[in-house]
Amino acid sequence: MNRFVIVLLALLLTACDRAEEPSGFAGLAGVAESEHEIQFLQPGPGDRLSFPADFGPHPQHRIEWWYLTANLETENGRPLGLQWTQFRQALTPRSVESEPPKPTLWPLEAAWMAHAAVSYSGQHRFAEKLARGDVGHAGATAQPFSVWLDHWHLRPASGHVGWRLSVATEHWSYDLLLQPQGDPVAHGDDGFSAKSASGEGSMYFSLVDLKIEGTVTLEGDTLRVAGTGWFDREWSSQFLKAGQQGWDWFALHLDSGDKLMLFQLRETQQAFRSGTWIPATGEPVALGPEQIGLTSVGQPAGYPRRWQITLPAFDVNLEVSAPAGDYRNSGLYPYWESPVSVTGSHSGVGYMELTGYRAQ
Amino acid sequence: MADNLISVTGLSKQFESGDQHVTVLRELSVHLGRGESLALTGPSGSGKSTLLNVLCGLESPGSGRLAMLGQPLAGDGAPTGKALERTWCELRQSRLGVVFQDANLMPTLSLLDNIRLRARLAGRDDTSAGDWLQRLGIGELGQRYPDQVSGGQRQRAALAMVFVTRPALILADEPTGSLDRRTAETVADELFELQARHGCGLVLATHDADLAARCLHQLDLGHQGGP
Amino acid sequence: MSPRIALFSHYRRHPLQLAALAAMILLASALWTGIHHLTSQARTSLEQSERAVAERQQSVREDGNPVSVQDFVNLRRQGLCVMPWLEVPVPGRGRLVGIDPLAAHCFAEPGHTPAPWQGELDGKPFVDISEAAAQASAEASALVLLVSQADGQSPPPAGYRYQAFAVAPDTAELGDSFLLNLDALGVLVLLITSLLLRSVFLLGLAQRRESLALLYRYGVNRSQLSRLLLVENLLLALVCILPGVWLGRALSLVLADGFGQALEGLFDRLLYAGGGEDWWLPTLTMVAVIVAACLAGVRDSSGSLLTRVQPAFFAVLLALGLAVSLWAPTLIWLFLAVALVFLAAGWLAPLAIAGVVRWLARNTGDPLIRWRLQEVAVLVRRLALPLVALQFALALVLAVHALVTTFEDTFDQWLGQRLEADYYIEVPQGADITAAVSWLAAKPELVSPELWHQVIRGRASVQTASGREPVPVDVFALGPVSHLVQNWRLLAQTETPWQALARGEGLMVNEQLARRQQLAVGDRLIVRLGARRLQAPVLAVYPDYGRPSGEVLVPASLLPEDFEARFRSLSISAGIEEIKVVEAQLARLWHTPQLTVRDNQAIRTLATDVFDQTFLLTRAMTTLTLILAAAALLLMVWVFLSTRAWYFRLLIVWGMPQRQAATQLTRVSLALIFAVLVCALPLGVWLTWILVQRINPLAFGWSLPMAVYPGFWIELAVLALIIGLSIALLMRLQLRRPASAPESAHGLQGGER
Repeated sequence: MNRFVIVLLALLLTACDRAEEPSGFAGLAGVAESEHEIQFLQPGPGDRLSFPADFGPHPQHRIEWWYLTANLETENGRPLGLQWTQFRQALTPRSVESEPPKPTLWPLEAAWMAHAAVSYSGQHRFAEKLARGDVGHAGATAQPFSVWLDHWHLRPASGHVGWRLSVATEHWSYDLLLQPQGDPVAHGDDGFSAKSASGEGSMYFSLVDLKIEGTVTLEGDTLRVAGTGWFDREWSSQFLKAGQQGWDWFALHLDSGDKLMLFQLRETQQAFRSGTWIPATGEPVALGPEQIGLTSVGQPAGYPRRWQITLPAFDVNLEVSAPAGDYRNSGLYPYWESPVSVTGSHSGVGYMELTGYRAQ
Repeated sequence: MADNLISVTGLSKQFESGDQHVTVLRELSVHLGRGESLALTGPSGSGKSTLLNVLCGLESPGSGRLAMLGQPLAGDGAPTGKALERTWCELRQSRLGVVFQDANLMPTLSLLDNIRLRARLAGRDDTSAGDWLQRLGIGELGQRYPDQVSGGQRQRAALAMVFVTRPALILADEPTGSLDRRTAETVADELFELQARHGCGLVLATHDADLAARCLHQLDLGHQGGP
Repeated sequence: MSPRIALFSHYRRHPLQLAALAAMILLASALWTGIHHLTSQARTSLEQSERAVAERQQSVREDGNPVSVQDFVNLRRQGLCVMPWLEVPVPGRGRLVGIDPLAAHCFAEPGHTPAPWQGELDGKPFVDISEAAAQASAEASALVLLVSQADGQSPPPAGYRYQAFAVAPDTAELGDSFLLNLDALGVLVLLITSLLLRSVFLLGLAQRRESLALLYRYGVNRSQLSRLLLVENLLLALVCILPGVWLGRALSLVLADGFGQALEGLFDRLLYAGGGEDWWLPTLTMVAVIVAACLAGVRDSSGSLLTRVQPAFFAVLLALGLAVSLWAPTLIWLFLAVALVFLAAGWLAPLAIAGVVRWLARNTGDPLIRWRLQEVAVLVRRLALPLVALQFALALVLAVHALVTTFEDTFDQWLGQRLEADYYIEVPQGADITAAVSWLAAKPELVSPELWHQVIRGRASVQTASGREPVPVDVFALGPVSHLVQNWRLLAQTETPWQALARGEGLMVNEQLARRQQLAVGDRLIVRLGARRLQAPVLAVYPDYGRPSGEVLVPASLLPEDFEARFRSLSISAGIEEIKVVEAQLARLWHTPQLTVRDNQAIRTLATDVFDQTFLLTRAMTTLTLILAAAALLLMVWVFLSTRAWYFRLLIVWGMPQRQAATQLTRVSLALIFAVLVCALPLGVWLTWILVQRINPLAFGWSLPMAVYPGFWIELAVLALIIGLSIALLMRLQLRRPASAPESAHGLQGGER
């Protein structure tokens, strides 16, 4: 990787004191000891979600993201996986009410990073964009709901109910209409999603069923696509506990109409697991660590491509596997983001995100 | 001016060879009168060339007394330093004639030019250079260069060079050593003839017993050389 | 005893000869490695500094308003990869450049060298743009939006256009030109090196002639002998080349250290990269040179080659080389011409010297003079190779001196042309220059009317009256045509060009344009300046060193209203107090709290620093070449004299006092060296001409003024005197040593004529 990363890292870390322990994936495990940290808000049990405001940014939190994964099909029925994510990383906390700094000062209070990926026919395409916040070319608003970085943007669709997401890179692009079905699902304790046994966590909700249609253009070939998407909103000031190495995250659309989100945060000896079971009918159920069985199957090193998921309480016994191919997003912070297929007690599709592994 | 052309008394000469001192000449006494000739004989390394070099001032005598043509040059009354060098130079310019076995001539000059140059250095008129070549029978070779003539012709030219300066004493080191027997004899004849005619002294270092026998005196250095 | 041992046993008896041979190989390797490394170091450093000041593309508004953060956002939101570059003057520290590393992310091209800002943002000169923005008032500092190279290829978004952006005057071509010349010199040094090696090799061969002859007589055939010699030399080369290469590197590093520092000083950051680890190139080159030097005609060492080939052949070769150099349409032809001329000059010089002294010798009546002249002839023949090497080295030093001095002068002029006034005030974007101009014109007591002008730069197209395709050119407009420019050196001119220019009766063109369009004074040009179509005669051609593009100089009065100025400034020569008044008034007029005022002297010092060290190094290196050539010559002289000493001593045998004999020998050696110097002078002058007048126009389209600096010839003569006296000293030492009589008076024992 080029020296730019070093520059960026140096920049991003200027506001944080150096951690004694490794600072985790993408610096997400910052240690809460710096002076600025006092001003960053840390979510905790009892915090509640508020709509539509929580679709917008949370400047007093250090990190947050808008995260879309989609399992689509082309007109002739071939699967196409798609991701769009925008991250915000604050260097200086700011309360929601206070005036943002003037763009002419080129403030460096927050950095934005956008990722987009398309997985099709065993090929994984990835692009990354960076920007500083408060200048104007990257940002997010709750009303109207809009998230953008340069010419990649998610915004209300004109003439439709729902949102339009467009992303373009030199070689490929997509333009999608997203129509959320149903209400946001709050994870964990009414939206506070614990990330360790000792209480670190984030605010986390999802739109688990988005009807998606649109076009994906790969090297000049335009494909009409349609399918299902999953949209996450999550924010925190300390996401990973120091010592946590990474996470494995799954969002599954089961053919039964049930949905499942679960993740584990890996530590040296153990893992912290959590999830949400969203039945086709009825209320979502938060899953405690003891309710989840999650093991990787048959791969000693590298990113595990096959997993065994069991939820004994719900008679769920799934095998989740990534299709053939390399689904690493090789940006500043490499991680795995792949569509998966589900077999076992239920069948279905979904997305899997793996971080903190050493590539094989 | 004294009668003796050469007056050497108690001359010793040592060379340093590594840690060793090699005595080449030991307590040597040589005297040569006007018109006399002396043959230096002895095996190689017995000091013949060294003695000749001392006699023409190219090497310093180690110890002992040396006077040439009446001028003291080593020992009591001899000049030193620059004056000594000046005296030797004056002697060599016009009073001493030196003949080596070969290579007596500047290779870059013709025979005639060699003789003219020699005459000029001796302060003599160089117009007689051609005559000398004629007298030695190589008059037609004057424009030739030393490497264009035979060894005998070169030695004749060397004799011409010596006599053009009208020397009082000739020091000859194996002057016929590189010549075949017949040529050697001719050259030797010319040498003795000219010596006799001009009445100059001659010191001749040679291996050739016949040649040595033609000299008035003989000095066998083989008996006194060695360590 | 095997032939191998027999051959080598010579060196066991004469270890000094072996040591001399080894020393020569070592020094020659060191010399060439040093030159090679220095050149590549200079190249790397210049490339890096060029990258730092390289011209890039910027996006500007079509309406002429300065770009703002909003423009940046607009462009980025349209998907364009632009990056902000905020230059802030910092009193006492020069400038700070604020950049946005996050926005620069899209500039990264895989596999490319990192851009200059992709290092630490440590204020040398790059800082994060927020820091730069905090340091200066937004109005005084200039925001530039750089466009990535990829996006710069496609058309700009509506409302914007692209234009060039450079942070400093680009010395690129001047630097390139110098480096090209340095390369040419490197090749010549290699030639000299191989001559020296060859002469050392032949010397060794001559010294061992007897052993070789003996082995030959014993039935070892010639090819076997050649093979043995080759193997021996290769082994010797291997042993000596590596330490030589190391020595050369060490030498160049020591010398180049200062060079790097100079660059660092200029660009506020570490730019010096060093020459990399390529030790193998000099090593291989040296091995090749040694093999070539040793293989070329092993049998010949007596100089008979000199007479074998007719001098007439080389005279034809020389004439051919000179003709080709005049005509050469490309650099390759030119280099061929240089090779031909050097080859012929190298062959002819010893022949010519020998011929002349022989002729002189024939025409003198004095046998002593004749002897001296003839000795010179012998020395010339015997020492032909090292003498030719010395001749080349002298020519090289001469040419390099002229080149370097020319470059220095040129650089001064180049700066002078750009920095003709004491102060430069940049006109901020959007500021009204007319108000400033009329204010200045109304204040003759403050600034003399002859000592200021405005400079406007932009683009135009030019068409010759003969109707060729219009070509784009740079426009350099002056108003008024002040005295500041009128001392420019013009290459060609009408009678009163500046007055005519001031009256708007014509224009001037730079040398590049004149060469490319074959323009002469008086030719009529059609210039399209914005909407105006102007037809005017060429009043003069001015030199414009280092600029890649053609340029026309017009009076500002001829510029139309809509002329799109890329750059505007005021050049003013005035006292410090006066300039302060001017500055304050202009700041008021332009509603700018702070003006960019540049001080001539500061820029000049900065810019001169880049080249000074290079020039110094180049001189040092060529001088080293000369010293090496001289050392080689002395070595040869010593060996040769040891066989010749007997004959020198004849003078003493014949009664010449030692001192007089020594004087004779001194005269011989001085005559020899001065003959070589005389042969070197025309070669050096010719080489100078090639370097400044031929290589540059062919490579870059502009020429350097030709000057020969005869004053330097005196310095060279002193150098030659020193070499000559050194030879004489060696001769004297030989005179003092007792010489043994050669066994025969034949050539190989020193008796040649």
